Amino acid sequence: MRYRVKSPHVISETVGGETIIVNLASGHYFNLQGAAVDIWTALERGDASTNIVADLERRFVAGDGEIRVAVEKLLAELAEAELVEPDGEDGAGASVPTAPAAAERTPFVAPSLTAYTDMQDIILLDPVHEVDPRGWPHASASA
Amino acid sequence: MPLQAPEAAGPSLDEWLDGISDGFEAAAGAAEVHELPLRVAERPVRILFAGRPLREELGRAVEHLAARGDAAPELTVHAWDSDRVAPPPLPEAEPGTPRGAILYSSDGRRSVAYQVGLGQLSAYDRQRGRAWFWCRSSRALPFWEPSAPFRQILHWWLGEHGLLLLHGAAVGREDGGLLLVGRGGSGKSTCALVSLAAGLLYAGDDYLAVAPGAEPRVHGLYCSGKLEPGHSKLLRHLPAPGFEGDAAADEKSIFYLGDGFRPQLSHGFPLRAIVAPVVRGGAPRLERLGPAQALAALAPSTLLQLVPARQETLSAMAALLERVPAYRLEVGGPVEALPAALERILEEIRA
Repeated sequence: MRYRVKSPHVISETVGGETIIVNLASGHYFNLQGAAVDIWTALERGDASTNIVADLERRFVAGDGEIRVAVEKLLAELAEAELVEPDGEDGAGASVPTAPAAAERTPFVAPSLTAYTDMQDIILLDPVHEVDPRGWPHASASA
Repeated sequence: MPLQAPEAAGPSLDEWLDGISDGFEAAAGAAEVHELPLRVAERPVRILFAGRPLREELGRAVEHLAARGDAAPELTVHAWDSDRVAPPPLPEAEPGTPRGAILYSSDGRRSVAYQVGLGQLSAYDRQRGRAWFWCRSSRALPFWEPSAPFRQILHWWLGEHGLLLLHGAAVGREDGGLLLVGRGGSGKSTCALVSLAAGLLYAGDDYLAVAPGAEPRVHGLYCSGKLEPGHSKLLRHLPAPGFEGDAAADEKSIFYLGDGFRPQLSHGFPLRAIVAPVVRGGAPRLERLGPAQALAALAPSTLLQLVPARQETLSAMAALLERVPAYRLEVGGPVEALPAALERILEEIRA
């Protein structure tokens, strides 16, 4: 399965080895740590999930199937949080991993996703409706 | 959330802005126009109010930025209400649209945002350096509006000049200060307002402009401060509130610091650190904060309040955090101890 980040309503930035994601539609924001940062970066690149697993397995030391299970679990959490959505099957457009050689592999740090909902009141009170640049009352094509 | 298109065809954005502009001209013909020249983030800005009541309501928080007005304005804001004239062309929200919904449209050059429940319209034409703010009535503004007027317009305009409109407070000295960030209730207003008693400069407690370049700088926008009514009783140095909030109605009291603190109202200072207060209780406790945690304290409360919120804005905030250190400050004990804690941060950075 391939997933796409639900931009432009989902924006993110990686600083200090962690990723902060803001869902502008729900008002929730998120912190990614460990391998979740690598997985998110790969999703932004458009990598398919099988490629993400293969790339991480080349780069990190982990138990049998551990990385695949961790990636699938995180993808399900990201989809549940409406940060990503399915975008077709694996296959065309898969990126070529540029991982280091196996000898340079480091221990796998399980992906971590923490959700914060303390700001959602702002969105519940003040939801934003973006409409067509031609002005009202034309509805946005994405609406 | 989608906006359902009404069946009737409407005007183009061009025609619509013309209608908005005509709305101001009609108001200007029906009431005396009051001009307020300002210097905002070191740039000349002019506000034209149609009618004295609106001038009195919305001018107070920016009085400290008043300038001579001999420079050609880079931005002219036209402000009026419909106490005497018909409203400008407004979009009709679908039934069931939340009261606080913001209807937003932009083609990159022109932007319009309409707050449905509040009945407030902000519009901006980048090429012409003109903006418009309309409200239903100067007598029916929400209590917070006069404390930070025109912030949507400033968000658009400041962005054109590479500045960020941030949700936060700022205090400091001429040679450098602190940006206090966090969601409402985190203690940033209390930290900022109690610092006035210790002689620190004050650049605002709710919204600020920040130049995030190689030498980041805070620019003060508003000389107001907001506090929960109970907290304001702890800060006896403050002037009488311009608006006395009712805690039972979730209102805050609004203070205008031109009354008594004008020498401490700062147009800006270099930004030395970002501080995220957290209410915990006990004596103030300080620790370094990682950039991701600082970004989580800074970004959502800003991004979720203004339109458009864009990836570039978040990236600019992240870049800012690479240039200045961030701290977490536990507060909640005696408020008198807070200024010394903030000064300690500034001293640590100087050392």
